Amino acid sequence: MIRLRGLGHSYDTHRVLENFTLDVAAGEVVALVGPNGAGKSTVLRLATGGLLVEEGAVEIGGFDLATRPIDARRRLGYLPQKLGVSLSTVVSDLARLVAAARGVSAVQAFDALGDAGLGARLDATLGELSGGQRQRVLLVLASLGPVAVLLLDEPAISLDADGSADVQAIICRARDEGTAVLFASHHLVDVATLADRMVVLVGGHPVAQGSVAELVAEGGQHWTGLGAPPIEAAYRAIVTRARGGQDRGRAPLALVGARTA
Amino acid sequence: MTAALFRFELAGARRARVAILFAAGFAIVGIGVALAGLSAGGVLSVQGFARTSMSLLQLVLWVVPMLALLTGAAAGSELRDLEFIAALPISRGSRVLSRWAALTATLGGAVALGLGAAGAIIAAMAGSADGWRYLRLALVSELLLGATLAVGLLIGVVAANRTRALGIAMAAWFVLVIGMDLAVIALLSALPAKGAGSWLTAVLLANPVDSARVLGLSLFQVDAIAGPTGAALRRVLGGWGAGVLLLGLLGWTVVPLVVAAKGLRRGQG
Repeated sequence: MIRLRGLGHSYDTHRVLENFTLDVAAGEVVALVGPNGAGKSTVLRLATGGLLVEEGAVEIGGFDLATRPIDARRRLGYLPQKLGVSLSTVVSDLARLVAAARGVSAVQAFDALGDAGLGARLDATLGELSGGQRQRVLLVLASLGPVAVLLLDEPAISLDADGSADVQAIICRARDEGTAVLFASHHLVDVATLADRMVVLVGGHPVAQGSVAELVAEGGQHWTGLGAPPIEAAYRAIVTRARGGQDRGRAPLALVGARTA
Repeated sequence: MTAALFRFELAGARRARVAILFAAGFAIVGIGVALAGLSAGGVLSVQGFARTSMSLLQLVLWVVPMLALLTGAAAGSELRDLEFIAALPISRGSRVLSRWAALTATLGGAVALGLGAAGAIIAAMAGSADGWRYLRLALVSELLLGATLAVGLLIGVVAANRTRALGIAMAAWFVLVIGMDLAVIALLSALPAKGAGSWLTAVLLANPVDSARVLGLSLFQVDAIAGPTGAALRRVLGGWGAGVLLLGLLGWTVVPLVVAAKGLRRGQG
């Protein structure tokens, strides 16, 4: 599992995240949603150590990221929003490195890439692949081996329908294997399908969290549980209210479904 | 894990075209310098290793730091952006060290290949006398390459972005290759002659290019070639001079790498 405690961050003088606390249990899928600049990527980068944690603490699989970074990252898979690897990297070289880091054989990594339809592109550089293929390569390698925590930043970005389906399959498989999954996404319909819980971030503050049904209710929408949930309308209402917009007369949102401290 | 990371970095470094350009450039220049010396006399013949090494030394002192600082700065800047790799269970120190080692192996191999090709032609046409001077010139080039690559990596890691890193690397090249010499000339002319020796020693150690320059000059009986300046240099450095300068270059390699590893943690992303 992963525990995020009181995380805060500023880029120079610009405050982007304030006192963010969240637990994701083994086998649970949690989605971070919010407008651009809400702090979703910052949360994930702090959780991987990509950004130095100066406020709060991150614990992965029982290891504190600040004091035991290698142990903490040993069972962590991360797909960054930006590529995060040089475009001149050959797919098979990257697969060998990730396999060595996770303690599995290179053949297992090649097989996993083959299962994702990338077996013929092992000798290609990432720059020679399409955007969707690159995303799939990194997604497959991020989830390779005994990963206990999977962090995905906009995993379906630049993917077609088949690619999005692959992402959903990987997340579902990870959950079934007991992996804690935390992902950021703008695709609310995907989020509603996959996530056990959603956290809405606005301006660096978590303004609401809970199950899809709880957030739909919090957003003032009616849903019987049948058919697709009106998640987009609920999300817009929550964000607008958090920004002090159209629903200014309503009381501030309380955090719902509070499984965090 | 460190071996796997080194193989990964080496594969990436070997794909970079700069290594091929480096090797070809040194081979062409080495042969060109060997041929150029006597052609002015109307007879085209190949110079021996001693004169070629002396001619190549200045070129090495200008070109190797420039390419190493720029390559290192670009590579260090890229290290900050590789978040997928950074999330693997690999220490920052290993990431910096592996990248430096892979670049040093690749560019060092290119320098050795280039100088070696020129050396083979010189040996075939002018004989192998003084070949050891040429070998030691190659060794000094490799030491300078390793030190300035480490400085370049540090610049890349701490600079805000790649463009700024390359700009700082160029400024550092100017300071190390030209600026410090001008400052030293001014300093030594202002200081009383008695205390100048210790200042000169400190300045030589404070600049990896000057350390390499003196190590290179020591190949050529510097007293005879550089006159009183060379004699003063030998007196300042004493019998342990070469060893001190070698340690200095080693320090210029290790310290920037350690600082870069710490800087990578703070500046990641």
